[in-house]
Amino acid sequence: MSYSVLDTKKIINVVKYRWLWILISVIFLMPGIIAMLWSVKTYPTHTPLLVGIDFTGGTIIKYSVNTEVSTNDIGKIRLDLSKNNVDNPVIQVLRPVTTEADSNIKNIISVKTKFSENGQNETIDAVSEVITADYPEAQLVEVSSVGPVLGKQLFINSLIAITLALLAIVIYLTVRFHFEFALVACIALFHDVLCVVGIFSILGLLCGVTIDSLFITAVLTVLGYSVNNTIVVFDRVRENLKFYSKKATYDEIVNASVNQTLARSINTSLTTLLVLCSLYFLGGVTTKDFVLVLIIGVVAGTYSSIFLANALIVVWNKFEQAKKAKTAQ
Amino acid sequence: MKNKIIMFWAIVILTIISLVIIKVKPIPLGLDLVGGSRIVLEAQTTDTIAKITQDMMDGLKTAIESRVNAMGVSETMVQQMGEKRLLIEIPNISDPKLAREFLGETAELEFKKPILDDNSNVIGWEASGLSGEDLNKAQVGTDAAGKWLITLEFNGKGAQKFAKLTREFKGFPIAIYFNGESISEPVVQQEINGGNAQITGEFTHDAAKKIVDLLNAGALPVPAQIIEENTVGPTLGADSLQKSKTAGLIGIAAVMLFMLVWYRLPGLIANIALVIYSLIVFAIFKTVPVTLTLAGIAGFILSIGMAVDANILIFERTKEELKSGRTLFTAINSGFDRAFTSIFDSNMSTVIICVILYFLGSNIVKGFALTLAIGVLVSMFSAISVTKNFMHLMFGTGQLKYPWLFGLKESDINEAYQASETKRENAKFGVLD
Repeated sequence: MSYSVLDTKKIINVVKYRWLWILISVIFLMPGIIAMLWSVKTYPTHTPLLVGIDFTGGTIIKYSVNTEVSTNDIGKIRLDLSKNNVDNPVIQVLRPVTTEADSNIKNIISVKTKFSENGQNETIDAVSEVITADYPEAQLVEVSSVGPVLGKQLFINSLIAITLALLAIVIYLTVRFHFEFALVACIALFHDVLCVVGIFSILGLLCGVTIDSLFITAVLTVLGYSVNNTIVVFDRVRENLKFYSKKATYDEIVNASVNQTLARSINTSLTTLLVLCSLYFLGGVTTKDFVLVLIIGVVAGTYSSIFLANALIVVWNKFEQAKKAKTAQ
Repeated sequence: MKNKIIMFWAIVILTIISLVIIKVKPIPLGLDLVGGSRIVLEAQTTDTIAKITQDMMDGLKTAIESRVNAMGVSETMVQQMGEKRLLIEIPNISDPKLAREFLGETAELEFKKPILDDNSNVIGWEASGLSGEDLNKAQVGTDAAGKWLITLEFNGKGAQKFAKLTREFKGFPIAIYFNGESISEPVVQQEINGGNAQITGEFTHDAAKKIVDLLNAGALPVPAQIIEENTVGPTLGADSLQKSKTAGLIGIAAVMLFMLVWYRLPGLIANIALVIYSLIVFAIFKTVPVTLTLAGIAGFILSIGMAVDANILIFERTKEELKSGRTLFTAINSGFDRAFTSIFDSNMSTVIICVILYFLGSNIVKGFALTLAIGVLVSMFSAISVTKNFMHLMFGTGQLKYPWLFGLKESDINEAYQASETKRENAKFGVLD
């Protein structure tokens, strides 16, 4: 009996349970999609996600203090503010360049935050309470509203750029692979991004998690990771199709390819998750949401590149064959 | 073997050069990571501008943004604050004075025509209707004698106005005013139709450059004054960043440990390759230079992930080849060649995405795309040359004597199964034929 590369250990059967894998994806995506639709309907901003100060603008409240504010102090202020219901503040310490009349001022603490629903005064009181607890001599210097960093136009431009980038990928993959691979890679990518956005939409509704400019970066990263992942598995399918298309069926080849790349898929995801989990559990508060997006994206990306993408490829192939059989009749 | 040793020393030299660059050049960091200057600009009412409208503020914001870009500082934040103020945060300003001059100064360019008395003597200047608004672009140039001058290129309407002006005042001087000051009063020799003009004068290069930058950035729609200037800490918070830095290092250490335990000796080689890879990428960041923000670092981290992935792909493939009973040398070679098709296609797709995002995206997106593209291109180099070179030098040729060095069992090698031949040249660039 002659051995073949296709005789590798089969741990996963993507072909047999293909509808199950697709169904799992759909079930996972549904709550997110519902949350997004609900958000568009109910939020005053009519956005699928709860947007933060980068998009909406907010208030800058400044206090002058006559002591040095250290890095640890900022951490304490941040913690106290979140206890006092001031979420996701941007805390910066200013050092006046020009020596002003009052030379006692060593530092200025600048807190940028969104107004609470109950109005401006409540927010200012909440912040002041925290600051004066730590710095009894702190003086409220200035309260002013600030506009958004990210305008609507900027956001739309980014979306256009991403759409064009995806189109380019479809063209590239069609040339290097086949159109169906290009299409499925894009569906897998869309799946991963939708998964992330959906979960954040739910988090927005349930826990008031807002998205900021970092969210866009994180989604881009998920996008890059997802394309990379799917192509590696498809590459194996492509290679095996070249060598074994006469000896084995399409289904067998796809199944074998998935199992051959399984060790790589798991190890790559594992190494990425090692770094991300370390950043999530040990890293700073301000980048936590950013890292969470990446973690969700990596998990979704691993799932879609192993299960969803290959299940879809097999479904597509079966559909094509059925069509061929029909025309042959 | 000789080539391999030359390659090895080339890698060593490249690493040393990278180390020197990293040591010598500072890396510009963005507002989110180190902070910078915070400037508050207030629009001023004048005799002609009684009230500051929202339209004016939008115009002012656009003008300031393009001015900051002209200064060569990326990753700047401009926000409207209250009704007539702009909050500008600029990272890494080496000379705050420069920023101050640049942001506050208006840039009014005006061509004035002479008022002539009966004897054709110039007795004064009056507006000609040709101004900076008719300008397409301005550039610094030199004349035949090597003196600095400013070349102006008018748009269609401006070219018509300029032609009319030069026709009308042939033989007379016209005056070019910048910010209300006459900087040049050339005599018109002939009618100029092409829409190009030059301003000559006793310029130093810096002075000419400043005028050109201001002209290209456009005039401020309203006069604005700097009312506050501070240095400012990172927007992501110094406290958070410190923790994230440590966490990131712990994460990377965990990855290296994983590679070592799972892939043994190749894992060690991959770790060394990763360190060299990071050094080269950082050196490139510093040379370009790239202003690093968190978005940029995200791109960099993703590219590290892809570099690790490339190594994992190669090792898994080499293991498969070893299991199929090949000698070390051929197993390593065909492992690389087979893995290369997937590395090439996945990395190329990433680079395509980056190129499009870089040219069309906004600032944050740009930073991400740039670092990711550089990272991915270098990672292809590091996986192909560094890892492969070290593998060959370390393992040499012949049979694999100690399978555990690859994390394989003795039985894996002995139960080698028949695999199809992989021809190197066929697997070189993608599709296998």
